[in-house]
Amino acid sequence: MTAAETNGADDFMPNADYRRREEYRKFFRRFVLLTLVSSLIPLLLVGWGINIHYTKFARNRMIENLNTEIDHHRKIIELFLEENISKLKLIARTHTRDYLSRPSNLSRIFEMINRDGASLTDIGIIDHDGRHLAYIGPYDLLDRNYAQAFWFQQVMEKGIFISDMFLGFRREPHFIMAVTSLDNGDPWILRATIDTEAFRSLVENVRIGKTGEVYLVNSGGIYQTTPRFHGSIMEKTRFPVAESHAGIDFRLWEDASADNGNTSPRQVICSVWLQEPRWLLVVKQEYDEAFDAVNHANRAVLIFLHISGLSILIVAVLVTRHMLAMIRRRDMETDRLNEQLMQTSKLASIGELSAGVAHEINNPLAIISTERQILLDCEKQTPDLPPEFRAQINDSLSQIDVQTRRCKRITHNLLRFSRRTTSIMEPLNLNAFVQEVVDLMEREANVNGVKFVTDLSKDLPTLVSDASQLQQVFLNLITNAVDAHNEKPYGRIDITTQLSKDEQGVMLCIADSGSGIPPEVLDKIFDPFFTTKPVGKGTGLGLSICYSIIQRLGGRISVESSIGKGTRFDIFLPLQPVSGGELAEKQ
Amino acid sequence: MIGAKILLVDDEEIFVRNMAKLLNARGYEVTTALSGDAAIRALSEQLVDVVVLDLKMPGMDGLATLKEMQKLDLFTQVLMLTGHGSIDSALEAMRLGAYDYLTKPCEIDELVLKIEGAWEKKDGAEQKDMMDKIQKVVESPKSVFEVFPRKNIEEKEK
Repeated sequence: MTAAETNGADDFMPNADYRRREEYRKFFRRFVLLTLVSSLIPLLLVGWGINIHYTKFARNRMIENLNTEIDHHRKIIELFLEENISKLKLIARTHTRDYLSRPSNLSRIFEMINRDGASLTDIGIIDHDGRHLAYIGPYDLLDRNYAQAFWFQQVMEKGIFISDMFLGFRREPHFIMAVTSLDNGDPWILRATIDTEAFRSLVENVRIGKTGEVYLVNSGGIYQTTPRFHGSIMEKTRFPVAESHAGIDFRLWEDASADNGNTSPRQVICSVWLQEPRWLLVVKQEYDEAFDAVNHANRAVLIFLHISGLSILIVAVLVTRHMLAMIRRRDMETDRLNEQLMQTSKLASIGELSAGVAHEINNPLAIISTERQILLDCEKQTPDLPPEFRAQINDSLSQIDVQTRRCKRITHNLLRFSRRTTSIMEPLNLNAFVQEVVDLMEREANVNGVKFVTDLSKDLPTLVSDASQLQQVFLNLITNAVDAHNEKPYGRIDITTQLSKDEQGVMLCIADSGSGIPPEVLDKIFDPFFTTKPVGKGTGLGLSICYSIIQRLGGRISVESSIGKGTRFDIFLPLQPVSGGELAEKQ
Repeated sequence: MIGAKILLVDDEEIFVRNMAKLLNARGYEVTTALSGDAAIRALSEQLVDVVVLDLKMPGMDGLATLKEMQKLDLFTQVLMLTGHGSIDSALEAMRLGAYDYLTKPCEIDELVLKIEGAWEKKDGAEQKDMMDKIQKVVESPKSVFEVFPRKNIEEKEK
């Protein structure tokens, strides 16, 4: 605090109080904010870093998992198709058309193929004109001509053909495989329908988590198998079929047209094109499930961040509050010291002045006193004075004596207030001491209708202090207390002693039920020459002397008063005299 | 003791004059000095039984004057006069060998009482010294010239 501010505080005390509170508040806010910023920013950065890093890591893991999964399924499907096509090729290459055209032969081969579990639904031999030469299967298709069928041209051209799912004559989704062979330059076709159930179960029975599904679509976007959710075989997929791409494609897809609210529209889609036929194998899973681990970790990080932030906030607030309390205590202590210092220096300067004045007045007083005695001597040596004159002279001389004594008392007090004396420290029992002073004053107090009530703590330790100076303090205070009852017919004076809270000293309290001190003069009562007593009754030095004595003994004195109810003086006296820091001593 | 020789030292001329008058009236022989220097001079010129010395004086103050007097090695007793403000100095003076102190303004009767006390002390000390010297001379008559130098005897006779 600068000097200017101190002065301001003196001039506008309530204002200064308000300003200081405002300052505390500002400090509190600033400190909490600073603590939060300096600790939360690194925390957030770390949290953020962990989050980004972990998300990337988990995402890669998930994509890898999906890739493995889809690769696995692709291999199974391709193996299945390849196996079947190989069987057909083998049959076509090892047998002649004529041989196979005989239903009994074809039937035997068909049974042999299906012996290890059904994989073909039917099988047929078709000549280059599309006529069915032979057919084994559950349908009656022998009279069908396939010359116009979409696959017929293709198989004739390529030699091998696997169709997409189609309904065909039998109005049921299925797909066929066909291979050509040459008999004497005359091409013919071996065509088989794949057991759709067996094939579809390869794909449709796969379960990935709760929302994962696997399905096939052809290049036209038609489902080749029934997906686990939404849609079924032969329907058009909502999912846009990507351009033909090599390897595995991974993408996120927002299902904007999701019609029911219980599934999240965000999907993770992994797809790969099969070699032959050109079908797209799709593994699809809801984003939230796929990234569940990531979300979980993120939630944990988020909770951790919140808890950390909250605890930092709490700690910051608590620490700041504690610090503020300390600062406030110290400020108050400083204020108190400043006040004391001011009072002390005021006393010191006035003391110096009054000592000088008293000294200067003492000399003329001494002369007046000697002159009176000379006159007195003369009066005695002159026998023939008129009796009235002698009486007058005696009267005047005794009055001069009274007035010089009065002056002497004033200067005496002045000098006692300001004089430097070495205190004689000795152990003393405060209670017995107080009782002595009370006994001394009791008679005078009783005349005024004032009674003493003492409450002296029994377990008071011995005090090391100056008995004669303390006696003066008590006498002054008790005299004042008695005088305070001048306007009241009766009253009481409470005197209590007790060990101070920190056990470093003794608290002595003298409370009267007198007229009280007006608040506007309450802070002046320790000033020298301040008195409310009528002129000639008091010098106004009593309380200043008390103040400076208590100060010199290392104690404190404070006053509280309310008009009409009384005044209370609290005195703190240290158990051991305090060396140093006493009233600045002077010659 | 009527006839005792008093030296009054104070810078207040009127005070000294009045005091002298009062003490004269009470049968004392009074010399005055207005400063410490003058007091020392007066002491070396004449015999004095009791010095009444003010503490606060311009120039050489009471304490310094007292110290100078001690150097003269006389039996003269010193009474200090002081204001209350300098009681510590008065106590210091007593440590240095002053007989007693009085606070200003003082009653003449009080002062007379203290002067009497001081004179008795001075007289006692002088007699004791004389007894010691006589004892010495009785023990070894040769030392009579050391113990009573000629100047001293002349003064005594006078």
